[in-house]
Amino acid sequence: MSLWDSLMAGLSLVASFEAFAALFVGIVIGVIGGAIPGLSATMAVALTLPFTFAMQPITGILLLLGVYKGGIFGGSIPAILIKTPGTPASSATILDGHPMAEKGEAGRALGMALWASCTADLVSNLALILFAGWLASFALSFGPPEFFALILFSLTIIAGVSGESLLRGALSALLGLLLATVGLDLVYGTNRFTFGDPNLMGGLNFIAVLIGLFAIPEVIMMARNPTAHLGRTRALGGTKVTLADYMRSFKSIIRGSMIGVFLGSIPGIGAAPSAFLSYSEARRKSPNRANFGKGEIEGVAASEAGNNGVAGATLIPLLALGVPGDVITAIIIGAFMVHGLQPGPMMFVLNVDIIYGLFIGLIVSSVFLFIVGSVAIRGFRFVAEIPKRILMPAVLVLCVYGVFAVNNNIFDVGVMFAMGWVGYVMLRTRIPPAPFLIAFILGPLLEDSFRQSMLMSGSDPAILLRGPITWFFWGLTLLAIIAIARSVGRKLPV
Amino acid sequence: MTLRTLQTRLGFAAIAIAALLALVAIPNFVSSPSNVRNIVLSPTFWPYALTGMTALAGLLLLVTGFREEGETPLEEEHPEAEGAWIRIGGLAAIMVAVMLLLPWLGMPLTCMAAFAATAFLFRTRHPVVAVICAVLVPLVLYVFFAKVAGVAVPQGELIRLP
Repeated sequence: MSLWDSLMAGLSLVASFEAFAALFVGIVIGVIGGAIPGLSATMAVALTLPFTFAMQPITGILLLLGVYKGGIFGGSIPAILIKTPGTPASSATILDGHPMAEKGEAGRALGMALWASCTADLVSNLALILFAGWLASFALSFGPPEFFALILFSLTIIAGVSGESLLRGALSALLGLLLATVGLDLVYGTNRFTFGDPNLMGGLNFIAVLIGLFAIPEVIMMARNPTAHLGRTRALGGTKVTLADYMRSFKSIIRGSMIGVFLGSIPGIGAAPSAFLSYSEARRKSPNRANFGKGEIEGVAASEAGNNGVAGATLIPLLALGVPGDVITAIIIGAFMVHGLQPGPMMFVLNVDIIYGLFIGLIVSSVFLFIVGSVAIRGFRFVAEIPKRILMPAVLVLCVYGVFAVNNNIFDVGVMFAMGWVGYVMLRTRIPPAPFLIAFILGPLLEDSFRQSMLMSGSDPAILLRGPITWFFWGLTLLAIIAIARSVGRKLPV
Repeated sequence: MTLRTLQTRLGFAAIAIAALLALVAIPNFVSSPSNVRNIVLSPTFWPYALTGMTALAGLLLLVTGFREEGETPLEEEHPEAEGAWIRIGGLAAIMVAVMLLLPWLGMPLTCMAAFAATAFLFRTRHPVVAVICAVLVPLVLYVFFAKVAGVAVPQGELIRLP
């Protein structure tokens, strides 16, 4: 199929009111979710996931991508107004955004955050369109040994999402891998940790695990301290962002977008490091570097460009290789799976219309983000005033409905509650949940490709190093391990 | 809690989990056919390998915990409020009640009760809004999932919604 045919196939799929409405609604949900401190973009995507089950695949996935993109921008609103990042990626925005708010320039800071976010989002989407297909065509020649090496490399993502302690991240990942072994054995069909319960034979439901891990602990934390969220919101102020502000920060925005695209396309790096790197580069190169940290608008632009530049690029490994680029794309994989789609190189062959439909939707999402963001900046006060002690019970009820809807099974609701308590213990003991989820997704793929390789070779491990592609990924794994070891050596504790 | 205590406790917990898996869970709850020729193809290989790595992670956590010198307590993002354990216990009871009541009361009624109970457990300052939301939110979700998404939402034995 030619590029033109693929584009037309995608357009025919996506050119409907439902698809664009889903994208728009998704961005609205994402901005609101990201703007409510404690809800986060991750939780917003997880809670929206069950609503996509009844939708067409393209509509459901566009809804989730809308939530993702809206959530990343939405996180900057509380970061600027109340010095609380709605998402970890917005942490860098606080550095200059909040001082601007204190000077009565919150509206100007939020405006610049929106303009920078939309520009970076567009750059990131274009990078996705350019590179995902190329990478997928390369990945078509992969066999089980190549996939094993790739997934092993992808597991080094865990270093990127481990937060303050690599060892605790590794422990989290190992627990995720262990939990993924529950169910029937992939080769022999024998029971593994099913305890004679037929509900466990298919393994633990992915959606129940992820919602339990990311949404329920927040509800439990609310029980622990119901007034922790109470804070003060700042006024927007009279000043607005101007074209001159945008042009003055344009270089930093483009540089930040490129940094975001580069770091986002590497699984596991995520938006927060990209935002900080973009910010520090802007400070290094800016003539106003002395003003950074005191309310410099270019600092807001750089950090927002850095974190939004990641949003499209994290979809490159997801669509081309079937490997999630970060924790939100790990959740979005769930939407693909629920609709019987397996992200990866074969999707570019079997479901090229969906791929191009997503590309078109993503380009439109930048425009929608600008419209929704402009309104959201003015409406944040209302969002911030939603009583969290009513919001959290609503989240609990939504989780119950959503998880039940996956398989019409009450057992899954029990799994979600159990995982919620696991997530709470992890939160209290500072074990990051993201490595757990990523390992839970990649675990079966890793084991499957390993055992298929062993079956192919008559248990000869040399097959795992059979050609240049495996060497390439083993080399990357080695480099990643060396980089991790060096960073661990520099900052204890591990 | 200090970082030293945290790392040490986690190390012990990881080793305990690994021991439990290696000595009890894998031998008793992972079935392996007797004719598997190579250990790497056995259904027990992967769980044993992961168990070994968990034990190793536990050991490393212990070592780093013992090597940790600072005794500064770890900063808590949200400190525990008064009566936290009672509320956490209450929330656990609500979750158990949801599981027990779902087949009998059905999902909409159970969720209405769970919503109201959770909101009051969190000492909401808007009791009237909480009660209204407790009725409306599960009903709206019921309409979406049952009528739009076609999910067979459990109706229970007391009331059957249209």
